[in-house]
Amino acid sequence: MNIEVIDHKGKKVLTLSGEIDMYSSPELREELMGILIKKVPALYIDFREVSYIDSSGIATFVEGLKYVKSYGGRLQFFSISKGIMDIFKFSKLDRVFEIYGNLDDAINS
Amino acid sequence: MKDSLRISFPSHPKYLSVVRLLTAKIAELCGFRGKIIEEIRLAVDEACANVIKHAYKGDTSKEIVLKYTSTEKKFTVILEDRGAKADSRLIKGRDLEEVRPGGLGVHFIHRVFDVFEYDEKRTRGNRLILIKYLGREQ
Repeated sequence: MNIEVIDHKGKKVLTLSGEIDMYSSPELREELMGILIKKVPALYIDFREVSYIDSSGIATFVEGLKYVKSYGGRLQFFSISKGIMDIFKFSKLDRVFEIYGNLDDAINS
Repeated sequence: MKDSLRISFPSHPKYLSVVRLLTAKIAELCGFRGKIIEEIRLAVDEACANVIKHAYKGDTSKEIVLKYTSTEKKFTVILEDRGAKADSRLIKGRDLEEVRPGGLGVHFIHRVFDVFEYDEKRTRGNRLILIKYLGREQ
């Protein structure tokens, strides 16, 4: 998995690519929590190039979501593939995570 | 006809990507298509991750054995380890309505496999048996 942090017109975007699993999720957690600890108002997660996610990856995002909510911030996902969306739906997390078609939709929400 | 394959790999999470590739290919060779292959791949990945996390408690130097068997009636995956004994009574996923980290892996395994049980006769380590009966939504 590759992780890139992009500044898009003053908005923090975490761009992920590859597979998020038990091996890569500790690195994701470190990067994610490293940003959220600064209490950014919103963090946008780009899933376009994410090909796989397992329960450890999902747990990392649930932890991030709980943290972001604790200070009134937002964690917003966009460009999620059908396969990963199916996993979120099965886990009933599509109702919990903020999910958008693209970055503009997320920013304008 | 019966097809079978056995592999062993170190209990390091970096090998899970190899297990996923292999599992998806074997599922395809056994006649599965599309979404079911993805579900089988995720389930086997979660089962292996559980061995690393719970049976071996994160020790990356141990061994996991995977056996795939396919017949006309069923597709079976057996995972063997020599780690701490799993208590099958305590293995259950979290309530999906409850939002908290963890507890999803078991649901991913149950979603696709018809049988998810430990061989209670095994005295040392664990033997997890996963079976998917064929001819349903293959």
